[in-house]
Amino acid sequence: MSALARLRYRLVKDALLPAALALKRGGKKSRPPDPLFGPPLKSTSDLRRIMARHYALASHAKGAMPVAWVTSGAPVELLRAFGFYTVYPENHSALCGARKLGPEISAEAEARGYSQDLCSYARVDLGHAFSGKTPVGSLPAPDLLFCANNICQTVLYWFKALSREYGIPLVLLDTPYLHGGRDEASAFAYVEDQLRRAVTDLERFARKDFDEARFLQVLESSRRAARLWGGVLETLRRRPAPMTIFDAFVHLMPIVSLRGLPVCERYYEGLLAELRDRAERGVAAVPGERHRLLWDNIAIWFALGPLARLFAEHGAVPVVATYTHAWAETAHQMDLQNPFAALARTYGGIFLNRDLAHRRAFLEALSREYAVDGAVLHSARSCKPYSIGQYDLKQSLRETPGIPSVVLEADMTDHRVWSEAQARTRLEAFFEALEGRGIGGSSDQGSA
Amino acid sequence: MTPPSRRAYALEQKARGRKVAAVFPARYPAELLWARDVCPVEVWDPPAGTQAAQAHLQANVCSVVHRALSLWLSGGTGAADFLLFSHACDSLQNLSTLVPDLLGEGRPCLFFYPPKGRRDDLAEGYLERQLEALSERLDEAAGRPREGALERAVAWGEARTRALNDLYDARAGGRLAASNGEFYAAVRACEYLWPEEAVLRLDAFRTERSGPSASGIPLVFSGVLPQPAGLLPRLDDLGVRIAEDDFIACGRRFVRGSLPHSGEPLPTVARRFLALPPCSTAGSPVPDRLDFLTRLAGRSSARGVVFLALKFCEPELFDVPTLAEGLRSRGIPCLVLEVEMGGDVPAQTLTRLEAFLESLP
Repeated sequence: MSALARLRYRLVKDALLPAALALKRGGKKSRPPDPLFGPPLKSTSDLRRIMARHYALASHAKGAMPVAWVTSGAPVELLRAFGFYTVYPENHSALCGARKLGPEISAEAEARGYSQDLCSYARVDLGHAFSGKTPVGSLPAPDLLFCANNICQTVLYWFKALSREYGIPLVLLDTPYLHGGRDEASAFAYVEDQLRRAVTDLERFARKDFDEARFLQVLESSRRAARLWGGVLETLRRRPAPMTIFDAFVHLMPIVSLRGLPVCERYYEGLLAELRDRAERGVAAVPGERHRLLWDNIAIWFALGPLARLFAEHGAVPVVATYTHAWAETAHQMDLQNPFAALARTYGGIFLNRDLAHRRAFLEALSREYAVDGAVLHSARSCKPYSIGQYDLKQSLRETPGIPSVVLEADMTDHRVWSEAQARTRLEAFFEALEGRGIGGSSDQGSA
Repeated sequence: MTPPSRRAYALEQKARGRKVAAVFPARYPAELLWARDVCPVEVWDPPAGTQAAQAHLQANVCSVVHRALSLWLSGGTGAADFLLFSHACDSLQNLSTLVPDLLGEGRPCLFFYPPKGRRDDLAEGYLERQLEALSERLDEAAGRPREGALERAVAWGEARTRALNDLYDARAGGRLAASNGEFYAAVRACEYLWPEEAVLRLDAFRTERSGPSASGIPLVFSGVLPQPAGLLPRLDDLGVRIAEDDFIACGRRFVRGSLPHSGEPLPTVARRFLALPPCSTAGSPVPDRLDFLTRLAGRSSARGVVFLALKFCEPELFDVPTLAEGLRSRGIPCLVLEVEMGGDVPAQTLTRLEAFLESLP
């Protein structure tokens, strides 16, 4: 790390970037109101600024501080304690998907022999690594990779490929998949041991001692942010919902990428206050809310806008998602008295790392808590651990708690596998079936 | 000596008073089952087709999982007293919970998670705890092992490993007069034969076929298993001799060379498990796999490496581009073929294989 790079980073962070973002904000034209939707969230402009700042700063971080690329389910708190600048390839791939750049960038990986059948997040990220293509200007090359396989095994294969490409170390947290509850203690003990070993590895890599006080501060911040995010999601229990899950997919970015940092907490404090205020005043995200829906799986990033419109046209409001809850559901386990054990439980026990019986119970609980009338199960071609089992979960939801659902075959990033016309037909049939059941679901007819 | 079919053998084992376990891919500690007089019958590529599973699985799930579920749905695992799932990938992971948790399997379903991406002391410690946990489940499903049974099972595992090493050595050294099909019929019978019988058959096969290998082009094959079904006779026709393999179901499932020093049974099983060849499903580093493949090519005087990339198999598909590039940079020609299970080799695949053979120096 060089002093000059650090100086440049501080200059950009404290002077140039704030000025540039203020200038940009001044020049931004507001969109005319859309009668399908309620008033736009004011926090969205803060979100844009925060994420723009994050990516802009990232390009100046190289050399000023160690840069780590991290999986979304990895305990980033450890890295923050060592002062790493962290970049989330999944978040970046989602961004590329939202800008409809998925196929173009993943083609760079496909040209190197990576099959089109592989996870599109991975292909986009590898494509970016091979070509430098990105809509955010540039990403800093990583000095270290940090991966936890609690969300899927794919991240392990993918990060191994990055490790080879950049010739840098990969710190892996192996989080055993949990079947039932019998072997949890052993699995969490293994994860805890690895976390302690990771500290030693990171000390060697960063050439500095582990600062436990700093670590606890980060952990506390992370816990507060996760609780705030949980509070944000809870506002969607209100009828009408003050925002939709499509909005939440976008407002999810800080809790994924910036948790453990003060900016993340501040952002969610503001968002939560705004949503509570909207809920108090009865401001609806979708005026005329008729059907409340659960969404399962990652967002279809490239179709978020069209889907939001289609849902809104039918008064259908997705109010809860398993995906967005992933960063809130285990926050209560962050025990600062026993931080390593707490991290092991928090990250090793997320729902994607548990069996389908747990997922079924999770879906049932969310359905009840958010009073949903139906569910949309996005079968993401890229994401097998999230998608395999959905056909039977659909049947299960129909039995208990007795809600109809529809499976939408798509992908989160690669729009080559998406047919908007087919999806529209399928969803419209589903919405019609919901109409047939009546608001709140009084009969069990016409499950799509 | 043609091995019996899996189903017939499972029924025969039950008639002898043994229990039978249907075991799903890929790596698992067979010794723990043998010690309890349980015959593991592995489910890799049953002739069950994929149709029955289509109502439960997406089309982009690999055919190993589709066939396994189709077999289960059609009652093809009916002879088994319990099921054992070993964690190999996301798809098999979800299959292991789909069957008991959503599809109502009533028999015991056991689960085994081998450590991923690590081979250090932490992985070894966790693996030992996993073996203990699996032992408890097996005690419940099949009863406790008799005195000395685990030690005997460990010895059987050692004998089978030795027999496989001897057979692979003979083939690599050009001292085995057997077709590709005959070789894999013998090796893959280990997926269900009782270990003592497997060793007898392997040794007998090696002795009977002792002699110079047929002339032909020696190649290393890598992938999940030797599929599609029509591949092996086609290779015989083309004059290709598989001289070594890096198949998950075959060459990656026994320790090459000498076994780690034995001691207490469970730690011995753990150490041997971690000494298995590098594998994508274990999250092994690709440089280790590259070195392994290079060693296989060298010891068998292979003229190239062919990857049979099973469609939708994520662990394999992620490693193949770097492995292929790495081998080429080491001067080893290689070919990547995308394959599906069952049936004959598609004409296009055959053409690519023929072109590769012609291009070999």
